[in-house]
Amino acid sequence: MAELSLKNVSKSFGSYEIIRNACLDIADGEFVVFVGPSGCGKSTLLRMIAGLEHITHGEIRIGDEVVNDVEPADRGIAMVFQSYALYPHMTVEENLSFGLRMTGNPKADTERRVQRVVDILQIRELMKRRPKQLSGGQRQRVAIGRAIVREPRVFLFDEPLSNLDAELRVQMRVEISRLHKELGTTMIYVTHDQTEAMTLANKIVVLRGGNIEQIGAPLDLYDNPANQFVAGFVGSPKMNFMSAEVVGVETGNVTLMLSNQGNVRLTLPLKDTPPAVGDKVTLGVRPEHFTNADGGIANLTVKVDVAEHLGNTSYIYANVASGEQLIIEREESRHDKTRDTLTVAIKSSHALLFDSAGNRLQ
Amino acid sequence: MHLRYRAAYGFLAPYLLIFAVFWIWPIISSFIMSFQNTRVNPWVFNPGATWGRLFIDPAFYNALKNTMIILVIQVPVMITLATIMAVLLNSPLLKAKGLFRFAFFAPVVVGEVAYAAVFRLMFNLDFGIINKLLLSIGIPAVSWFSETPAAMSLLIIAVTWRWAGYNAIIILSGLQSIPEDVYEAATLDRVSKVKQFIHITLPLLKPIIVFCVVLSIIGSMQLFIEPMLITNRGGPGGGTETLGLFLYRQGFASSNFGYASSIAYTMAVLAILISLLNMWIGREAK
Ligand SMILES: Nc1ncnc2c1ncn2[C@@H]1O[C@H](COP(=O)(O)OP(=O)(O)OP(=O)(O)O)[C@@H](O)[C@H]1O
Ligand SMILES: [Mg+2]
Repeated sequence: MAELSLKNVSKSFGSYEIIRNACLDIADGEFVVFVGPSGCGKSTLLRMIAGLEHITHGEIRIGDEVVNDVEPADRGIAMVFQSYALYPHMTVEENLSFGLRMTGNPKADTERRVQRVVDILQIRELMKRRPKQLSGGQRQRVAIGRAIVREPRVFLFDEPLSNLDAELRVQMRVEISRLHKELGTTMIYVTHDQTEAMTLANKIVVLRGGNIEQIGAPLDLYDNPANQFVAGFVGSPKMNFMSAEVVGVETGNVTLMLSNQGNVRLTLPLKDTPPAVGDKVTLGVRPEHFTNADGGIANLTVKVDVAEHLGNTSYIYANVASGEQLIIEREESRHDKTRDTLTVAIKSSHALLFDSAGNRLQ
Repeated sequence: MHLRYRAAYGFLAPYLLIFAVFWIWPIISSFIMSFQNTRVNPWVFNPGATWGRLFIDPAFYNALKNTMIILVIQVPVMITLATIMAVLLNSPLLKAKGLFRFAFFAPVVVGEVAYAAVFRLMFNLDFGIINKLLLSIGIPAVSWFSETPAAMSLLIIAVTWRWAGYNAIIILSGLQSIPEDVYEAATLDRVSKVKQFIHITLPLLKPIIVFCVVLSIIGSMQLFIEPMLITNRGGPGGGTETLGLFLYRQGFASSNFGYASSIAYTMAVLAILISLLNMWIGREAK
């Protein structure tokens, strides 16, 4: 078990800078999730920690040792690959014990470790099978088992659930969470599924285009995103963004006009330096932060495009004349129908403001 | 028969006809021939003169022995070499991969006569480059064409030169089908490169290697061009006569078609048996 830190870590492939100045501290035993859209550098960052990719600049520490030049094998990490990367010609048992056998680990100890994994993951009946004879979820389990057998200081997972069907994903997600509690080892987990991120992580690292956009606890990111990208990325259904124009600034307050929502005006509290009158800004409101008409800081009248009634809640996909789409969660209503006209209010203190560059104004 | 099937067979007819005339018929007819004494007119049924003769003909045993010696030495040497070449070709450190791949493959497309002529020149006793090289490092010149062991070695060298690259390219395709992340996983499992090769690469290459071995066995069983052209019709004095050459001499030089047919069938059956044995040894453990 160990803490881990990245200091100004960069990575270039040729002239392309894939990771820019990444700084990150991970405490011992923490569960950290890297999220971000496809191609943002999550896998690269993980592979740099594993030592499978060299870093161009910066410093990686595991425990209190700088590991920049330490061989992957000697970093005390274990990795679960997205493709599982099981040894295809070996049985499950051989897959689990291969590394230990090859490095001359005492036989009794190898057996003890394999048995422990078998107990933890309940894969006893699979031991004599080969990867080809396993289902996706079973392979996943074996891949995780192979990592546990190594008794690493840090676990790395690269999108381990992305090849599984939805139901199995949920099940494995719970299992990985349980595993983390049981083993207490530091884990770093890559995914582009924000539900996985929200449910598993102690700490989420949001990446975009090689930059770390924000680091924080799941609910912190949800409630207090640092910018419009994080706000849009975390949460499902996505946060609504409405274009707005600043029409008035007083101390501690800013008044906006929603130009695409029938020129509705509303006033928000603001501690930061306020934007100038006439500036274009963006207002962000999560689907659940709407309430019944007149219950909030501003009323919006929209036309229902699609209504999804899920039983416990309903999602209204609504269009306004100018083409902006809103997703509105309505817990109390099961009656909204397509083409209904609906008036809802934005709950006070739940609307977020972003400047034209996407930075949060609070 | 349903009309649709009739139409289909109608379209297939030209091919089936050619297949029947040029494949099926020779196979059947040579099989029948292999039971006939073809040195009398008219031919008579007399398996003793063909199949029977096989068992007592010292020339046949000589050819069989030579073929087996070449096979047993040449195939393993060549496949080992081909595997090493494939691994080197697959190395990320190697530059100009395309050039090497072409160079490895080139011997296969060189004309057989040209290739044989070049080998005869290179291994010439007095002015061949090989003997000059040997002399320059203090080894006396070898008379490649007039001593049986040397002539056999020459055949093995020639065949290996010609086909090693070809097999290397096939094995390379097998190497490239092994996913990179399996090696990465092994690296993180602290398994050394050498052990990765022995415990991961080789087992995963096994099907491809068995395939190459079977192909090579079939090729070596039929070895003909090299002893015919390079060692001058199996010289010295039948010292490098192979089954293929023996068959040729019986069929074309002595016009003994019946006996030649029985030799051909023996070669085919041997090739099948040895290949089956190989596939059985290299079978996937259940
Ligand atoms: N070996 C390489 N050479 C050049 N560019 C690379 C290499 N590996 C990755 N990249 C580039 O680096 C960027 C980040 O890739 P990476 O695999 O880390 O993305 P990711 O966030 O894991 O995406 P995904 O969610 O699709 O797995 C991509 O733009 C990719 O094209
Ligand atoms: Mg990835």
